[in-house]
Amino acid sequence: MKFAIAVFSPAHAPSSRRALRFAEAALAGGHEITRLFFYQDGVHSASANVVAPQDEQDVAAQWRSFVSHHQLDAVVCIAAALRRGVLDEAEANRYQRPAVNLPKPWELSGLGQLHEAAQVADRLVCFGGD
Amino acid sequence: MTTLHVISHSPFGDNRLTSCLRLLDNQDALLLCGDATYALKPGSEPYRVLQAAGLEQRLFALEEDLQARAIPDELAKAVDYPAFVALSLHYDKVNTWL
Repeated sequence: MKFAIAVFSPAHAPSSRRALRFAEAALAGGHEITRLFFYQDGVHSASANVVAPQDEQDVAAQWRSFVSHHQLDAVVCIAAALRRGVLDEAEANRYQRPAVNLPKPWELSGLGQLHEAAQVADRLVCFGGD
Repeated sequence: MTTLHVISHSPFGDNRLTSCLRLLDNQDALLLCGDATYALKPGSEPYRVLQAAGLEQRLFALEEDLQARAIPDELAKAVDYPAFVALSLHYDKVNTWL
């Protein structure tokens, strides 16, 4: 079956970790993830600048390696990301900001990508909250 | 059309749980995760509400969140992540109370 997974929470929220564990279990169960979509505060789950405390899991790094390892389509909402200072190189240049914190494997794109993913996938599962 | 409702907010902080129970169809199911599992704390008001809702085999809770909070799984069926994935496919839609 095909899953689209939307993440609404930052890397330090339990629900971001829960989304990752769900995504891992979906792939391990032989299912497909058509797209991951990071929306609202979920854009922080994709930031490369997150520094997790040493005694905590680095969920942002785990997301990054999960996406890279499985070569997933991982979209970060551009409007949500810009207003939160999560920028790829093109946007940092465009708005003349000093830092880039969204390198590959992430893609900045619009909310239409979430809509399309919901149409293509058998299930859309959203993660947010505590 | 059946729905798996997912709640992760504490029942002591807002009214998501009671709103959800009001909307829950008799073929729908409820999965509690994160702080929402506090609703399964025996003796609490949310526990009483869940008990009265009579969800029987349609009430689930994420096992690791129960364990992390030392909450018993007497009222809800504890599920791990593979079972969460299976539940999301068993029901036609997944509605997360964000």
